Amino acid sequence: MTFLQILLGIYEGFGITAIVTVLGLLYAIPFALLAGILQHFSTGAARWVVTATIEFWRSSPVIVLLYAFYYSLPAFGINLSAISVGAMVLGLNIGGYGSQSVRAALQTLNRGQREAGLALGLSRIEVLRFVELPQAIAAMTPTFINQAIQLIKGTSLVSLLTLTDMTFRAKEIAQLSYNPVGVYSGLLVAYLIICYPVTIFGRRLERSAAKGRGASHEF
Amino acid sequence: MSFDFAFALKIVPRVLEGIGNTLVVAILSFMGASALGFLWEIARRSNRHVRPVMQFVVDAIRSTPVLAQLYFLFYVLPYYGVVLPALVVGVFGLSFYYSGYLSEVFKAGIDLVPRGQGEAAQSLGLSRIHTVIFVIAPQMLRNVAAPLGAYSVSILKATPYLAVLAVPEMLGSAFDVASETYRYAEPMFVAGILFLCLALIAVTLVNWLERYLGVTTPPH
Repeated sequence: MTFLQILLGIYEGFGITAIVTVLGLLYAIPFALLAGILQHFSTGAARWVVTATIEFWRSSPVIVLLYAFYYSLPAFGINLSAISVGAMVLGLNIGGYGSQSVRAALQTLNRGQREAGLALGLSRIEVLRFVELPQAIAAMTPTFINQAIQLIKGTSLVSLLTLTDMTFRAKEIAQLSYNPVGVYSGLLVAYLIICYPVTIFGRRLERSAAKGRGASHEF
Repeated sequence: MSFDFAFALKIVPRVLEGIGNTLVVAILSFMGASALGFLWEIARRSNRHVRPVMQFVVDAIRSTPVLAQLYFLFYVLPYYGVVLPALVVGVFGLSFYYSGYLSEVFKAGIDLVPRGQGEAAQSLGLSRIHTVIFVIAPQMLRNVAAPLGAYSVSILKATPYLAVLAVPEMLGSAFDVASETYRYAEPMFVAGILFLCLALIAVTLVNWLERYLGVTTPPH
């Protein structure tokens, strides 16, 4: 097999990689926004519950979460497909990280923004919707891009749940012909082609954002 | 098959047998990733021809999944006659993957050291290596301590990836129990709980260390 054939063979798994990424984002973005906003506003017991939920999703190793949910949920009578479990676990894990960027972005906003909004007669919700969130989202976009890359790379884990994604295809091809150098460098190149442009885009955004603020170090 | 809590409780010690390897892998990988990451960053700054090359290397490391990098090392090294224990391959893999992220941390840390420090050292006649080791690196440490602490927890959380290379760390022990008893639900659940506890302990320790060293707020 030529390198090009290997690469095309690996890209036969692109569909699953893409589906899990998109479904994962559908979990990650709402969870990040909701949990970040709730953590920012809630107090007392409610805040404790929100924080515990976030910490559960972002403090557990994602590969362990994946196995735990995949194998343990059926024992509690919940049967989900491998794609559903993969997208949910990967998405909520990244969303947990994202919620911290949302909260941090909301917290670093100047208090005057809120006070000015309230003084203009906007309700608290309207201030959040029209004044605080637009600025917070702009501030966290570079971090968000980095987290999206983490999600794309994380989808390689669904190969362990025997879904035929790009990583799984590479393992299949490796069994057909003994050419580990070709197959596994092909796998690295396949992901590089997808993620490298996004990495460069994120770096550019980060640089332009850093001009106005301090650069962020978290991923 | 329903969930058997008594069985889950009974296998906790079996799964915990892997904790030694988990910690060893985490510590070695953290040291390896720091050393490599610092090397990338110093190389990136060494001259203007190396700079774009190193920039690409670091971006490429960050643009491929750690699982794919681990498979690559695990299957390609033996092809060239390099046969290493899976644990060593795993430590190399995690060190390599996280070196891409840590080089960015070192970059930010070095950027925060005032330029005059390096220039003063050079004008005093220090060689470039001595300037890096005795002048830049010590001042950089304070800037990188907090993000390094965060990444040490990330690396700890990445150690279960080594289970796919059959390294007997905690997730690996859980798989051993599963294949012996033909029950997957309880071992995976127990592994999940134990890793969560371990990560939370690590976060607490890192936070405590940061406060002790007075580096909680990364300077901007």
